[in-house]
Amino acid sequence: MNSPLCKPWEHAFSRRQFLGASAGALALGAFGGLASSRAAEAMRKKEKQVLFVWLDGGISQLESWDPKPNTQFGGPFRAIPTSVPGVHFSELMPKSAKQMHRLCVVRSLCTKDNAHSSGVARIQRGDPKTRGVPYPFFGSAISKLMGPTASKLPAYVWIKPGSGGFKAEDAGFLGPKYGSVAFGDGKPPDDLLRHASLTTEADEERNELREMLNKRYAEQRRRNYTEASSYVFDTAQELMKRADIFDTTKMPAKELDRYGRTEIGQHMLVARNMLEAGVRFVKVNSYGWDTHGDNFNGHASLVPKFDRAFAAIVEDLAASGLLENTLVVAMSEFGRTPRINGHVGRDHWPEAWSLAMAGCGVKAGAVVGATNEKGTFVKDEGYDIGSVFHTWFNALGIDSQRVEYDNHGQPLPIAHDDMKPIKEALV
Amino acid sequence: MRAHHSRSPLIASFLVTIAFTGASFAAAAAPVSEAVDRAITAKAATAKQPLAGPASDAEFLRRAWLDFGGTIPTAEEARKYFADKDAGKRAKLIDQLIASPRFAERMGEAFHIQLMERNGNSLEWRSYLTESFRANKPWDQMAREIISPDFKDEKLRGAGYFITRRLEKVGQQDTDYPGLTRDTGRLFMGVDLQCCQCHKHLTVSDYKQADFSGLFMAFQNAKLQKPGGDYRTDWVAEGMVAKKYEFVSVLSSAKGATGPRVPLGKEVEIPTLAKEEQWIVPPDTKGKKAGIPRFSPLKEIAERLASPENPFFARNIANRIWFHLMGRGLVEPLDLMHSENPASHPELFDLLAQEMTAHKFDVKWLLRELALTQAYQRGSVIPPGAKDPPEDVFSVAKERPLSAEQLARAFLVATGEHERVAEGKGWEGIEGTKYSQKEFEKAFTAAFANEAREPELAVNPTLRSALFLRNNELVLWSLQRRTGNLIDRVAAMSDPAQIADEIYTAILTRPPTEDEKSDVAKYLTKHAADCEKALGHYAWAMLSSIEFFANH
Repeated sequence: MNSPLCKPWEHAFSRRQFLGASAGALALGAFGGLASSRAAEAMRKKEKQVLFVWLDGGISQLESWDPKPNTQFGGPFRAIPTSVPGVHFSELMPKSAKQMHRLCVVRSLCTKDNAHSSGVARIQRGDPKTRGVPYPFFGSAISKLMGPTASKLPAYVWIKPGSGGFKAEDAGFLGPKYGSVAFGDGKPPDDLLRHASLTTEADEERNELREMLNKRYAEQRRRNYTEASSYVFDTAQELMKRADIFDTTKMPAKELDRYGRTEIGQHMLVARNMLEAGVRFVKVNSYGWDTHGDNFNGHASLVPKFDRAFAAIVEDLAASGLLENTLVVAMSEFGRTPRINGHVGRDHWPEAWSLAMAGCGVKAGAVVGATNEKGTFVKDEGYDIGSVFHTWFNALGIDSQRVEYDNHGQPLPIAHDDMKPIKEALV
Repeated sequence: MRAHHSRSPLIASFLVTIAFTGASFAAAAAPVSEAVDRAITAKAATAKQPLAGPASDAEFLRRAWLDFGGTIPTAEEARKYFADKDAGKRAKLIDQLIASPRFAERMGEAFHIQLMERNGNSLEWRSYLTESFRANKPWDQMAREIISPDFKDEKLRGAGYFITRRLEKVGQQDTDYPGLTRDTGRLFMGVDLQCCQCHKHLTVSDYKQADFSGLFMAFQNAKLQKPGGDYRTDWVAEGMVAKKYEFVSVLSSAKGATGPRVPLGKEVEIPTLAKEEQWIVPPDTKGKKAGIPRFSPLKEIAERLASPENPFFARNIANRIWFHLMGRGLVEPLDLMHSENPASHPELFDLLAQEMTAHKFDVKWLLRELALTQAYQRGSVIPPGAKDPPEDVFSVAKERPLSAEQLARAFLVATGEHERVAEGKGWEGIEGTKYSQKEFEKAFTAAFANEAREPELAVNPTLRSALFLRNNELVLWSLQRRTGNLIDRVAAMSDPAQIADEIYTAILTRPPTEDEKSDVAKYLTKHAADCEKALGHYAWAMLSSIEFFANH
């Protein structure tokens, strides 16, 4: 896949199918068996992928990436050294601290919205200028701009607590084709598992029969529908074949322990398997970070669960070599107020907060920007989410200042037109 | 389209042509179907596109059943049709289908999908549509009843769902008046004014901010009310409008003001009423009851929009009915009609709009007229010598998607489970409610219908639908042998040729070719050990094939 934008199949078919890039040219039989061979397969292809960890409600920067111990608003936790000399994290993140040499932490986010209802979408859409149409979330954007990988697995998978299914809402004006396949509680969408009455052989045979019928029918007709139909049936087949990648009951106890036997731990492990299998974009959601009351006990409980899972996946992706081509992001819709409120909580704070990245195209071991001594505001230049979107796109090799969406003839920039990538964060 | 497409001159010339056509129609009385075929043939000749031959009896039968009956015929019905030697049997079939009670249900469903775009459903709305088509209510009357609903009339209040559903609050979003404005323009006039909410349209010079604003102000003046008192459903109460709506372009900062206005039409003058004349029923502020203003912008809009004097109204319905039967509008996109987006067949398009007006917006009339054309009855097989025939020439019948509802019904008819599931016959004390018509429709809709607010215009295979077909319990249940169903019928047969004929006719509404007969025979020999299961798999492959999914 050379150009991230223009793929021949997009011209040939109608909207809303999941379609693969140059899928026909690939030997799909090469897959199967061990996870490590799949990882090797994906590695060989050098296809870029994304892991996007969304900590919904707002992780406190002070209890994670940007501790301010012994200051007015610093809270009770200490800061600990990381694997990069001079860089400290909150003591709630000992495992991620050991991965700092692979991470790039931005401590100078300064965004606009302090409400969850609008902020979640605003941040995940990159908050571009108002164009009268809803912009796609990051995952849908990548699904559109990069398409699925050669694996034929869906381009955008969302692993989340709660309900699963086919979620179109992230896609905005791009249309539901670019929505996500959501694994609610890590479980697959309806009808994904092979029906109990079917054997693999029978299933494959009847599908070959269907392909034969389609071929015969299509010989004398317009090409439109046949290939699109084959593609979704193939994607279905690939997903069904890999039931192992999301079945946490079949995962080695050792790995489960390492990721943590928590919701986010299991979901992150599924995410790793999905990335290894070749899913282009995996989003993992964790809820419950909105600690207006009892912030410190809340974070003392939440952060270590995230820390364990996050450090484990960064380590695994690095070990398998996938990290080199996988952009990893962990963030929320905003940070939390330095000021501690009357309920020993922290409120919403978009003025000065942090996110962490790793992998593809980003500078390993770097800290970008800083907050002032009390952590109340950003020192020097603050970055809005528009700049962050430019940064991600560029890390993935997409020139965000030139590439545009085509909204039924209306050209739209893929990221805020007045902003630029954060240079210090890029390799 | 036409160079004369600016506002008032267009209307004037339009009225002249109506008068003219009305006369010539009476005199010459050449059926519209012939005019259609002349125009299509002429353009195909110019484009050097060979015309596909007529659809086979089988292809025509299936197409007409799906379009006018909403499902496929049974194998028995199909064989009866194939055996009929009457040269006029196609016209006879169309008339039979249109006369059947299924016709109104099918049209009600098609218009529901088109007007609501999967954004909600309501029994009263559906019954309003179905009964309107049963009575062959003129489309302009329906449009007026939908845009300016009578919420107190038991038979008409269902029409109000088009508005009330769109004004329901979703989460913390503002009431979607812009969406209602946009949809009304798109669906009743074929103009998408979305961009004009904030500024003049950047690529369509005909669409101005005042066009959006004039419709928008009429809707924004209507507030959603909960049922109560004389009202059994959600309803909207209009407020008092005394002054124009002011708007500013976000691009040029140019200011404007408008009263209620039909897009691309004239502004309605807001009457100056003395205080005591303003309300027919004054609002009761203490009882929190809405009043009824004397000046109703919605009524003014409805009367002017759904009128022979609004050329876009006739064009839109002509284009959408053409789309309904041909799979592509004469103007595409359906909702982007303007002077620089000509129809593929401009004269034909004008004629259809004029005739539709002359026939007082009789939807059934136009459907029948189009169904009788060679264009509708053309085959979907590309003729020799044609390569990638352009769709807008209509030289080859276009394949169209079956709606989720058509699929669910066709699936049950094909598998021979229709009577059991839909009519409750032949259960023999086995599983009941899990396999009801309602459950099938629900499951098929979840798997095949578009997301809410996505127009259903093309075949869109999705991962969800592929998984549904492969593994869903309802799908696989229908393919297990059960007294009287398809698998039961064929499992009892011993001649492979007879088996092939039965499954092909039942599922694909056509007899098998010799090749297909021998495929079936070979397959059955290979799976002689478990024939019943093998037959289920074969039927599954056919039911999951494009041929079944397309109305071709």
